[in-house]
Amino acid sequence: MATLDPLPEQYQKQLQGKLLFTAKTDLLPNGHFGVQWIAITEEDIMVWHQEGPPTLRLKITQLKEARAVGAIGGGTLIVDTHEGPVVVGRYTAALTPVFNFAAKLLGALAKREELPVLSERDLPRNCPTCGNPLGEGTQICHLCAKKSTAALRMLRYAKPYRLQLVSAALLLILTTLVELVPPYLTKVIIDDVLQTKDMGPTLMLLIVGLGVTMLAMTAMQTVRGYIGMWVGSKLMRDIRKEIFGSLMRLSLAYFDRRQTSQFISRVNQDAEEMRQFMTDGVVFVCGHTLRIAAIFIIMCGLDWRLSLFALLPVPIIVAFSLTIWPRIGRLMYQQWRAIFRVNILVGESLQGIRVVKAFGREREEMTRYEEANADVMKKNIKTEGLWQIIHPLFSLIAGLGTLLIWYNGGSKVLHDEMQLGVLLALVAYLGMLFGPLQWVSQMINWVGNAMTAAHRVFEIMDTPSEVPDVDEPLPLGVVKGEVMFEDVTYGYEKHHPVLKGIHLQVKAGEMIGLVGHSGAGKSTFINLLCRFYDTDEGIIRIDGVPIRSISQSDLRKQIGVVLQETFLFDGTIADNIAYSKPDATPEEIMRAAKIANAHDFIVRLADGYDTRVGERGHKLSGGEKQRVAIARAIIHDPRILILDEATASVDTETERQIQEAIARLVQGRTTFAIAHRLSTLRNADRLVVLDRGKIVEVGTHEELLVQEDGLYRKLVDAQKELAQMKGAEG
Amino acid sequence: MADRYDIRLLKPDDVYLSRGEGGVLQGVVDGKPYDELIVHRTFPFRHPSAYISIRTTKDEELGIVRDIRELHSESAAELRKELQFRYFIPQVIRIDSIQRKSDLWLWKLQTDLGPTRLAMRNLHEHIQYPGGNRAILIDINGKRCEISDWRTLDSHSRRLLEEVL
Ligand SMILES: Nc1ncnc2c1ncn2[C@@H]1O[C@H](COP(=O)(O)OP(=O)(O)OP(=O)(O)O)[C@@H](O)[C@H]1O
Ligand SMILES: [Mg+2]
Repeated sequence: MATLDPLPEQYQKQLQGKLLFTAKTDLLPNGHFGVQWIAITEEDIMVWHQEGPPTLRLKITQLKEARAVGAIGGGTLIVDTHEGPVVVGRYTAALTPVFNFAAKLLGALAKREELPVLSERDLPRNCPTCGNPLGEGTQICHLCAKKSTAALRMLRYAKPYRLQLVSAALLLILTTLVELVPPYLTKVIIDDVLQTKDMGPTLMLLIVGLGVTMLAMTAMQTVRGYIGMWVGSKLMRDIRKEIFGSLMRLSLAYFDRRQTSQFISRVNQDAEEMRQFMTDGVVFVCGHTLRIAAIFIIMCGLDWRLSLFALLPVPIIVAFSLTIWPRIGRLMYQQWRAIFRVNILVGESLQGIRVVKAFGREREEMTRYEEANADVMKKNIKTEGLWQIIHPLFSLIAGLGTLLIWYNGGSKVLHDEMQLGVLLALVAYLGMLFGPLQWVSQMINWVGNAMTAAHRVFEIMDTPSEVPDVDEPLPLGVVKGEVMFEDVTYGYEKHHPVLKGIHLQVKAGEMIGLVGHSGAGKSTFINLLCRFYDTDEGIIRIDGVPIRSISQSDLRKQIGVVLQETFLFDGTIADNIAYSKPDATPEEIMRAAKIANAHDFIVRLADGYDTRVGERGHKLSGGEKQRVAIARAIIHDPRILILDEATASVDTETERQIQEAIARLVQGRTTFAIAHRLSTLRNADRLVVLDRGKIVEVGTHEELLVQEDGLYRKLVDAQKELAQMKGAEG
Repeated sequence: MADRYDIRLLKPDDVYLSRGEGGVLQGVVDGKPYDELIVHRTFPFRHPSAYISIRTTKDEELGIVRDIRELHSESAAELRKELQFRYFIPQVIRIDSIQRKSDLWLWKLQTDLGPTRLAMRNLHEHIQYPGGNRAILIDINGKRCEISDWRTLDSHSRRLLEEVL
């Protein structure tokens, strides 16, 4: 059993009867933050705010019922006594599960029913070590567990290509070393050949040497560039694959709360930025550090005192980078956000382009876009503008070192303390030294972009699925199709349950019709059965196995669904029908289409089964789309068939034909059908009537019809009335 | 009975709200007593103190209060109090710190209802901007806090906010 906060001793002493439950609220009765203690014993409920006697004490015998009333950001535990409702305590949203349990417990006590047992899921999910909230469906605290930084994690992607990367690095070292040769040769040419005016074979030799080094450098750069490009492309593919994989793994609830168009840019842009860091960035950092070190050693060898001048600007550059760094991060995040908004806007407007046109809102959409667009421009100018300042500024600071060397070295040459060649070599090396230093700003840019991108990407990857597969899923095999809902409660938002205490047993092969008002929770019912979402309370079983312990791919193989919102992929009709069974033969595809009464209309199309349906199937009519979706649901011969308003958009005659075909198909298959047109459900073995998330009636059409004031009867009467009216009109 | 297809706006004399002994909002609407009433903001962001839907526990709408200020003072006070309970959205007075720890953002806040902490997975999904200078912070568990106008915060809080937003 899960444990609760232990009641402080001073309160324990006041208890009478066996203690059943204790909890700590995080709000006071006046709605301010603060702690109250609640204890439930077999005899009464007690609430304390401070030491001393309880501020509230109620006998269990006074109770009729208890409820945890969810509100926004918090809730209230209310008990109904014979004298009227009483507030026991108030709490914030974090404690909702605890008080839901408390309400259940009190309700059971009041009605003398069997007491519920506290489970892990009733407790707030905080990390035991650091006290910060835990993510959904995990017991591992992100704060305590993960120590590796985004940079290290990013480098892990490079691991499979370490051989290539190491050779690139080796080449880089070689290039760097070779690069250092020409200034040295120049020095020799000036001091030993030009100054001595001793034209011999030396000059020719030196020039040949210069030429060879130049050639070698070009060759090595080409090879290295090629390796970088090759590794980069592969890395991009890996990262994109993983992001997309993570997206596919996430539950529907994740996408319910987000605009989906944002992910398009995430998959591409963020991956690109990460790649840039890993190939260019890492190579750059390593290469240039090495280069700086080597140059510095050579310079010191030439004249260490002058070389020290070169170092003067370095601390300035470093200090400057450090102060500017947080500001850049912030600007970059803002820029990203602005672009993100524009992307969402475009995605949304285009997806809804029909609605936009239907209401003639093109102009308004353009204004909305224009605003977001202008924002991007402003953020761009700000961020990029900063670069335009930083860049020349860095060059200027770095240039100061050169001035110092020219001045000091120049006077030394004039006083004959130094050879001209040495000075020229020093200046050349200094130029090479400050090249990379100026690039520090570019590096900051890259690293900054890559880190923000990496954080966003890892955020997706780290989000645990809200409907996780268990570690060792039970094998399911071919199921009979028995479905059992045991006291299932679910809310898309935890504090607002949409289905409450659903209890239903369905025999294998039974056809169940779900009816009820719009918003009653019918689609939610089947969403739970498909395990698009996990129940908040209660268990759903197929053939006695809880669906939580079945792997999702196994589960979906048993289920064929036609969803209320028909979605077709941009592809041919055949592709869409064969979506769940890509190896389906043409015969199978046609048979499925025939059952769905789609075969004839498809054949009449010029391109037949190879007709492209367009994005989301917009080239088909509403009813045609539905029939293709039905065919898609039945092609893989599921044991459980779910039809959510599957025939709502077809005329009654077509519907009758589809029904007949399905009737043949559903034999021996468990079927759940939702329909507002009640005649659709006349073949159902049992009808389940839902009202505001509760099952109010169950029975056959005839059984329910005789209940004079039943909801089903009302629905039927209303439709009859409507039908007569329509008849009279026609 | 009034037209059931129209919105019923309640006049001050139609509603009397008070607090029951058990601490529950009760009242008399259209002369009929109810020992528990539920209130909903219909435009929680745009009109937090106007267009309040008064409902029974069975979720039937009795009517809409166009503006709390129109009601008699006792009713108005109880309605305000009840809204505060139902919409538990503390107002941020000061931001003590905003920290980023691995993949969580931790906020330490002072609100009009006392100090509190929020945890967010990221900033762009957990902060809403309903307009003006307002911002609504929503933490992982659904706890909410509101910054009604970030410009009126003290300079320390503003600096912290500017750094992240
Ligand atoms: N993804 C979602 N996120 C939040 N709330 C939702 C979501 N989907 C549905 N709801 C809410 O859940 C309730 C039940 O919805 P559901 O789709 O199950 O109704 P339904 O019975 O299928 O209605 P209809 O006959 O109109 O299709 C509704 O109040 C709806 O607002
Ligand atoms: Mg539905």
